[in-house]
Amino acid sequence: MPLYEGIGLTEKQAVVIDIGAAYTKFGFAGESGPRCIVRTEIKCPETKQVKKVLNYSSEEELYDLLVEFIHVLYFRHLLVSPKDRRVVIVESLLCPTAFRETLAKVLFRHFEVSSILFVPSHLVSLCTLGVNTALVLDVGYVEAILIPVFEGVPVLHAWQAQPRAAEAVQSSLKASLLNINSEKEDFPESTIEDIKVRTCFVTSLTRATQLEAVDQPPDVVYREGGSEIVHIPGKVRETVYEVLFEQDNDQMSVSTMILDAIIKCPIDMRKPLAENILVIGGTAMAPGFKARLLDELKHLLQQPKYASRLALKTFKFHKPPAKENYVAWLGGAIFGGTDMISTRSLTKEAYVKHSSLPDWADLSYNCREEDKISL
Amino acid sequence: MAFLLQPDIVRYNCTCGSLKPISRIYFCRHCLKIRCGYCVCHEVDSHYCANCLENLPSSEARLKKNRCAACLDCPSCLNTVSTRSTNISTQNPDDPNKTVTRKAYYLACGFCRWTSRDVGLPDQTVATGGWPERENVHAARISSLLEHYKVLALRERQEKERKKFIPRRSYLHFSDKFGLTAMMARKRAGLPTLGGVGIKDETGSIPDIIPSEAVEEVDSLPADIYIKPVDLAQVTTLSQRLAQPEFQPELVSDLFPAHKHLMIKRSQRCRSCEHNVSKPEYNPGSIKFKIQLAAYYHVPEIRIVTCELLRIGQESQLIIRLCNPTQHQTVIQFLPLPSAEEDLEEREKEIEEKKKKQAEKKDAEKTSQGRDDVSILLPSLSRQTSISEDPRPVNVKLTGDVILPSSSVVLPPRDDAAEYDDSGETYHFQDDPKVVMWRKANKAAVKIAVVPLDSATEAGHVLVGFVMKYTYVNTMATLDQKEPQKVDLKVKVFINAGKTVGACT
Ligand SMILES: [Zn+2]
Ligand SMILES: [Zn+2]
Ligand SMILES: [Zn+2]
Ligand SMILES: [Zn+2]
Repeated sequence: MPLYEGIGLTEKQAVVIDIGAAYTKFGFAGESGPRCIVRTEIKCPETKQVKKVLNYSSEEELYDLLVEFIHVLYFRHLLVSPKDRRVVIVESLLCPTAFRETLAKVLFRHFEVSSILFVPSHLVSLCTLGVNTALVLDVGYVEAILIPVFEGVPVLHAWQAQPRAAEAVQSSLKASLLNINSEKEDFPESTIEDIKVRTCFVTSLTRATQLEAVDQPPDVVYREGGSEIVHIPGKVRETVYEVLFEQDNDQMSVSTMILDAIIKCPIDMRKPLAENILVIGGTAMAPGFKARLLDELKHLLQQPKYASRLALKTFKFHKPPAKENYVAWLGGAIFGGTDMISTRSLTKEAYVKHSSLPDWADLSYNCREEDKISL
Repeated sequence: MAFLLQPDIVRYNCTCGSLKPISRIYFCRHCLKIRCGYCVCHEVDSHYCANCLENLPSSEARLKKNRCAACLDCPSCLNTVSTRSTNISTQNPDDPNKTVTRKAYYLACGFCRWTSRDVGLPDQTVATGGWPERENVHAARISSLLEHYKVLALRERQEKERKKFIPRRSYLHFSDKFGLTAMMARKRAGLPTLGGVGIKDETGSIPDIIPSEAVEEVDSLPADIYIKPVDLAQVTTLSQRLAQPEFQPELVSDLFPAHKHLMIKRSQRCRSCEHNVSKPEYNPGSIKFKIQLAAYYHVPEIRIVTCELLRIGQESQLIIRLCNPTQHQTVIQFLPLPSAEEDLEEREKEIEEKKKKQAEKKDAEKTSQGRDDVSILLPSLSRQTSISEDPRPVNVKLTGDVILPSSSVVLPPRDDAAEYDDSGETYHFQDDPKVVMWRKANKAAVKIAVVPLDSATEAGHVLVGFVMKYTYVNTMATLDQKEPQKVDLKVKVFINAGKTVGACT
């Protein structure tokens, strides 16, 4: 039965994978949403402990973690054999070389996939809009990464990255809660995440400037595991996301990233970029996030630092046809649903040829060439 | 079944380098090699619903997005929901004074008490489904984007193909008049010459899409968020949201039941010879296998019987029980583990062998391609280059030495009847009483001496290893070998003998 799938003119449906630091999105090319969004972690078969796939100490360990993790993705979630099937990998342009190499090795050598197409997440996100110019800000788990794309080409020298994302929010939330619920020693990360998602929000700029003066939103009593009570003061609910917007010593925040990136771009690009902002990533789904971002941008524009350098009037945001946390995946699924998958993929044969080279970094350079996508 | 409960006591070294208990390894009867879950090729065999045990052909499973048409999951706790029926009475349309009762069906979860009425789903008049299916609101938009990019991609591809022809430009100019270029390009690309998306109109229009329009307004916070108390029971958890990636409902009132995700039966294939080492029966209710080449049926099994107290540097007696699972007599010998160099050599031999096999396969493929052109027409059917992983070195640290018995042990074949026959056991084996403690049918207990090393204190247990050499009768008939063949096979075995007692000074 599985034999017949490849017969005829329809090729086996390619799979699209977007491995995030916290969540992995996995599904089929050409579909409107991922089949699953699962935590990027595995239960170690020997120690029975849950381990994050991206917390690896060596490439060998990463190899084993990926084998275990991807096996589950194929056989528990997608229910297809990986062998001789194409793969689209949605990756960040800042993805470490060691990671992408190990991932390619796992897919080619362990799962025997027929080809891999690496697509940069910021770039393919534009496929979900049908435009070819946008300033793409991805607020994920570890960091917020911004790359402007102009006429289908990433403006790489203007990229920005800041460790202002879910991890920072969650560690701030954890610290506040431990402070208040002094009888608790620690909270598991999943509890913190649940509290964040279900009770916290991004407050407005006006309130943020006078947090001490305003009436606090109602407190919440959270039952951890159904029994233990955790008190979440309204103030905490309102302020945990402030770590994203507070300017640090270098006067950097999520909002300044956008303006700083625009400043680094040539003048004729600035207006189109400011009027084509695309915010993606799970953290951008927090209630009030975009409203705050827009207010911050308008506010910062009045500040001397930017007023003198930017003659912008408006900022416009795109609404992609997907939830923010899988926009990049959807871009990969659209891109991978086209002929590009046969013309631009790295085939197993090409991989075999190159991986026999002593310096395998050469190949990654080669892939990068192929990755240059014009939309 | 001690090995099931304590899987890490006696571990066998798989050909790929992993260490697994005997219950977790395969024995490929074609390669005569041990294989394990890590080094075999897993394949999806059949799809089924774990709730109703309905079997789906893979094409249908694909069509239904791996979901069961009949069973639904509770969106709240993700368990299966059941259909409940009630009687409701409505006015008789013919006679307003009378009422008629009819059955109405709704969904209810027996685990968390969620019901379809909670989210305002109307009751159904039939018990079997008819529940409204939710569509991704963006589906149409996404498919038009997809069409758009498909044509863009096709164009790019055609341009590329054209560039490849540049040296023969004059010819192309000529054929261009007749519109042949595109047809050639398509032929080269292996695409059908007629039909398909955007192919009818070569040069012209890419299906129109309206590019997304960025807006100045963004979703703002609900006005009452600063004053409204939060009822956590009304807010979904992240796992509830992510269970439905395309919808990710934030409120419990938006949770709709989802069709149950299917499960699969898997078959395992030896990567080296492409024979199945395990293939389940198709019927989802069956727990039997069509093919099950488990090592448990082919490789002598070792269990620990007892072990004397272990003291660092002192010799203790470890008694193991050997069991011959095959229908043929076997001779077991114990050898010390190979040195690092020998080990490396062995692995290199293994890799060499694999390469040879690969080359053979390629040759065979070439000749078959000459004979028929199936694999050219359908590239997905032809064998692809295989570049599976190379075996790895065993990654363990021994914390004990072993003194192995010098003489070999003969084990008679398995005889199921003998299991129930306690009378007059007579053996004609010349056993060395220093080696064999006792024997019973196809089993024998063997003495080994263990000397824990200093490192055992730190590791917390005494791990010893040796090579077990056993004779195996290969009954697999091949083209050039019809008769059963006796072969000597080796497997590295690692035994965790337990903790040491008392600190040594
Ligand atoms: Zn193995
Ligand atoms: Zn079912
Ligand atoms: Zn339930
Ligand atoms: Zn085999």
